[in-house]
Amino acid sequence: MTAEIFAEIREAISQGEPRVLATVANTRGSTPRKSGAVMLLRPDGTFMGTIGGGCGESEVWQDAMDTMADGIPRLTVVDLTEPIDGDDKICGGVMEIFVERVVD
Amino acid sequence: MNFSKKTIVLDAIENAIAGGESIVIATLISSGQLNHLTLGAKILVPKSSEVNGSFGDQKVDELVISAARELHDSQPRINVGTAYLNAEKQLHFRIGKSTNSDAEIMFQLWEQPLRLIVVGGGHVGLAVATLGDFLGFSVTVIDDRDDFANRDRFPMADEVRCGNVGVEIDALQIDNTSHFVLVSRGHLQDELALRTALGKGAGYIGMIGSKRRTKTVIDHLSEEGYSSDELAGVSTPIGLSIGAETPEEIALSVMAEIIMLRRGAFGERLSS
Repeated sequence: MTAEIFAEIREAISQGEPRVLATVANTRGSTPRKSGAVMLLRPDGTFMGTIGGGCGESEVWQDAMDTMADGIPRLTVVDLTEPIDGDDKICGGVMEIFVERVVD
Repeated sequence: MNFSKKTIVLDAIENAIAGGESIVIATLISSGQLNHLTLGAKILVPKSSEVNGSFGDQKVDELVISAARELHDSQPRINVGTAYLNAEKQLHFRIGKSTNSDAEIMFQLWEQPLRLIVVGGGHVGLAVATLGDFLGFSVTVIDDRDDFANRDRFPMADEVRCGNVGVEIDALQIDNTSHFVLVSRGHLQDELALRTALGKGAGYIGMIGSKRRTKTVIDHLSEEGYSSDELAGVSTPIGLSIGAETPEEIALSVMAEIIMLRRGAFGERLSS
């Protein structure tokens, strides 16, 4: 997956298109993906790779879209320890995800 | 340095994965109270060549570079870690000691995938190579019999070497990402392989055999002048105690031991 993401970043650089990379920087407790997992976001909101299925991915996606727009890196904290209605939150940990624009 | 400016970061990572110089990349992922630092800035610390990049504070850069250099030699291997930097500019890796006002630095170590060198292409060697490949290791197989050291038998291997095991091991570039699994057809072969593999800085050397048989080999090498420290680092008999009987189960036991050591764990039941 890493190789495919790097290839897409290179392609985006040559096309002059922006991309945002989200990297799991650290985790505590039980989380869907471990540190180093990556997700690459495109300007149309589609992405490749995953930082963790349904568990917190939408929060990261929103931050990544903001970073796509303003270029400011963000550190998103996804807390999976608090249950939300209708969601079993089987994960139960906390992860920090660093979001950065890798192509302007 | 900023990821977006150039392809330097990408070039360095891809070079490292391809077997070039390994690199630690430190990224400022949160500035905390240290507002003068550049959020998102990166410092590239290759294993031996020149450092590139800055967070915008010389003292902080020095701390980060020194921590990155330690990661290059870390055992067990840490591929991604977060460090915390307090207002007094002290850097540490303990989340329990961190506060919300600390700056956070993500360290990523990029290097060639872990390498598994299987000496002996028999039933156990085949199972170890198969499982090692499945686990993401780059697999090299060595045997002096061409019926065993060939591509048809080992399609999953990155490299198959047929020849005297001592000569073939000597021809390899070994570092602490290299893991030797000695499972050859007899103790003379294993002894030759062990003698050649020792002292090259491998991350792991394991040798199959009963307690009695492996002790004989270790005693020989001890008489030849290998230090007891060096010999004590050899995992023999090889593997974790899971009651393995078949070649496939032995492979599982061996790979479990390698992963356990690499991650600095202890092999107990999680439920115990």
